[in-house]
Amino acid sequence: MLNYFLKGEAGTRLRFMGMLLSAMLVLLSVFTLTQKGLNFGLDFTGGYLTEFTTSQSVELKELQSFIAENHNGEFELTAQGNSHFQLREAPSASTTANSLDWQSAVTQNDDINAQVLSSAYIGSQVGDELFDQGCLAMFAAMIAVMIYLAVRFEWRLALGSVVALVHDLILVLGLFSLLQIEFNLTVLASLLAIIGYSLNDSIIVGDRVRELLRVQSNNVLSPATIINNAIKSTLTRTLITSGTTLATVASVWLLAGAPLQGFAIALFTGIVVGTFSSICIAATLPELLGLSAKNYEVKVDAHTQTLLNMP
Amino acid sequence: MLSFKKDKKPSTAKFKLSYIAMLIVLVLLAISALPNLYPNKSWLHISAAAHSETQSLPSTKTLVTFLNNQGLEVEQGLDKQSTINVLLNEPTKSAQAQAAIKAQYPNTQVKVVEHATSPTWLQNFGLSPIKLGLDLNGGVLFVLDVDLDKAVDEQLVSAYQQAKSIIIKQKAHGVKAQQTQHGFEINALPNATDKLTPVIEELQSRFANLAVVTSNNGSVKAAKFSYSEQGRSSFDKEVMGQTLTTLRSRIEELGITEAVTQQQGKHRIRIELPGVQDPNEAKRIIGATASLGFYQLKEIGGQTFNMQSGGTIKLDPVPIFTGDHINNANIGRDDWGKPLVQLSLDSQGGDAMSAFSKANIGKPMATVYSEYSQNAKGEVVKKSEVINVANIAQHLSSRFSITNMKSQQAAADLALLLRAGSLTAPVTIVHEQTIGPSLGQENISNGLAALMLGMGITLAFMALWYRRLGLIANVALILNLTSLVGLMSLLPGVVLTLPGIAGLVLTIGMAVDTNVIIFERIKEERRQGRAPYQAIQEGYKQAANTIFDANITTMITALILYGIGYGPVKGFAITLALGLLTSVFTGVYVSKILSQTLYLKMGKKAGVKAHA
Repeated sequence: MLNYFLKGEAGTRLRFMGMLLSAMLVLLSVFTLTQKGLNFGLDFTGGYLTEFTTSQSVELKELQSFIAENHNGEFELTAQGNSHFQLREAPSASTTANSLDWQSAVTQNDDINAQVLSSAYIGSQVGDELFDQGCLAMFAAMIAVMIYLAVRFEWRLALGSVVALVHDLILVLGLFSLLQIEFNLTVLASLLAIIGYSLNDSIIVGDRVRELLRVQSNNVLSPATIINNAIKSTLTRTLITSGTTLATVASVWLLAGAPLQGFAIALFTGIVVGTFSSICIAATLPELLGLSAKNYEVKVDAHTQTLLNMP
Repeated sequence: MLSFKKDKKPSTAKFKLSYIAMLIVLVLLAISALPNLYPNKSWLHISAAAHSETQSLPSTKTLVTFLNNQGLEVEQGLDKQSTINVLLNEPTKSAQAQAAIKAQYPNTQVKVVEHATSPTWLQNFGLSPIKLGLDLNGGVLFVLDVDLDKAVDEQLVSAYQQAKSIIIKQKAHGVKAQQTQHGFEINALPNATDKLTPVIEELQSRFANLAVVTSNNGSVKAAKFSYSEQGRSSFDKEVMGQTLTTLRSRIEELGITEAVTQQQGKHRIRIELPGVQDPNEAKRIIGATASLGFYQLKEIGGQTFNMQSGGTIKLDPVPIFTGDHINNANIGRDDWGKPLVQLSLDSQGGDAMSAFSKANIGKPMATVYSEYSQNAKGEVVKKSEVINVANIAQHLSSRFSITNMKSQQAAADLALLLRAGSLTAPVTIVHEQTIGPSLGQENISNGLAALMLGMGITLAFMALWYRRLGLIANVALILNLTSLVGLMSLLPGVVLTLPGIAGLVLTIGMAVDTNVIIFERIKEERRQGRAPYQAIQEGYKQAANTIFDANITTMITALILYGIGYGPVKGFAITLALGLLTSVFTGVYVSKILSQTLYLKMGKKAGVKAHA
């Protein structure tokens, strides 16, 4: 079906339409990011986080008001399940005493009979540092990858891959901002993994474009057709790999539990938009930038040319 | 016909050699992966506490009955000569049992020790399962911030104090020490310049990292002391090293065996205590900064110290010896039943004590207890107090005791800290995390379930889509997982975390990529009319470049992630990076040999059929 659409001009039109869609999605993501921002997790904000289960299922509202009676600071209670809750407090010094008060209240109350599963404290300074380091890691990874691509590919193809990569990251961040999913350290790790995987797809398409530009005596075929052919011949591979990776990520999402939920959501989105962008951006942008077979012609100096011209 | 055979032979020989090498690697990695089938079990080791006066170890039977009565069912109780080893039915409750035994039998030492359950021949090879991170094992995590600036300030003040006492000792009249903004300086009047050099030399022999700048200010010669950048960095290194050593021995004193203590960044220390469930005791001991010093009283030029009983006293700023020279410290009680700490010194401390007490019989000696604490503003300040001043009654040797302790607990803590060493720089806990053992267990089973499902889907898909080639990919995939687990068990310092398991699952999904790229190539080559065997050769050759390109970018991000990330994220990066290595190995090399063998044999069979 898709193969049919990719033939000739129809394929080109589809690619450009996809690119337009991508541009719109990026704008939307940037808009939500600036309006709503990200819901940063404990790793980055610092503070106290206590995770506990109750012996029977308790209404979130009831528990909220019960804890409020035993807590004189600010806190944020979220339900992970019917009897599984998370309580988050700001990293101010006074909460240490508070934390003990409400904890003993919920563990000693017979109706709630809570059991603390885990607790964490992160100083706000550490959170800031982690955030800085995360951003640093992200930029370092992007720059290293860009250098590698620039050496390995022609600049138009390299730029196409990098733009596709940035597109993927912005869309994932946009989704996290739109749905206000917690953005923590493991999500950051998954963003870095997306950098790797998104490029993977783009590189394979780019590799094929380069190969076709070199191989065929391609003054006959237009760059658009060559790119369509390259996509067509790599499409099965792209879909299979994305499919199996998505299947494994989905099994993490379904089975690995709450701690990896954000991680799996980020990777899932990243792989979907990454596959999309490898076709609609990584391969299409170089065409706009004037990619042609000439870029890959072996440069021959005058002397060799005369030698070649000799009978 | 003959010439064909001649051509064939060397290539088969070459092919066989690489085949054997690959087989050896795969078998070795598979053997390394084996211990993971036998997870470690946590045993409780109960022994009489080293510093207790009474050897009050309960009998194995009493202990087992006690634990069973507490609802902690014992699976196995072994009586070893001086220790009792107990395995619980639910090893996740070990921490609870540890606390219960400690409360019931205070004079025992209880340790939770991991016992390998793999066959002895595996253990003899030194093979063990992958180390599990805290999020899978349960336990307590601390990240400590070491206040290096404070340590430098302290060191400069101490150097200044010592400079003053050196000047007095050397009777260097006309030489004067005074504090400045970034350290201190020693000035010498014109008639005393020759006395300046020995003072500087003496001081530098005590503080090797201090930098001196001498200058002439008119007729006054001045020597400025401060930390140069180089001196500061070597001082920082020293302090961090010392802090790590001290913390490690403190954790050992607490009876925690599998702890991981490592430096994180420039001035942080990360401590992971698997199996520990109550962070409070660990917190009190790990964060404690108490230190002890013994001083001579000084009338002139001394430093002023506060007395615990009130008032002040002047002491020589250079201690006779410090807590560093204490070999062993135990708690005890004096004749009036008040707690005391018995000390025994090492040879250096013993000599210093012996020489000093011999020369000063009848004179007083002060014991100073110092501790860092936070003041109301949240700043870290050092508080030093003279806890006792006693006249030296006789010639003391390397054994004596400190009296006047506030409480039994204070005496016990001080004894522990003296045994384990004191911290030169104040530390504060900036990150603390407790993960319950049941949560860890849940994380493991969830992670494994995700791995199984992901693997199952992938295997099924590959088998259905590529049929015969898919089987090769699936064999390669299983070999990949075994190799990866083997490699992770083999390499020291690799820790499996929950994100690490996610990395493992991802690797499985991505690993087929290599094979998919190759197989699609092979299909294409076949379409162009090549023979199966040639198509395989060509497919692997053509795809190699693409695979290399695709994997190297992921490798770059994995390495950066490993370099910058901490804890669980590092675990993810390690799995990712190692997974790339093994998937290229199995996906390209192993599956190439597999498909070649398969098609070679099939080709031969087909050939036979054709002849027949």
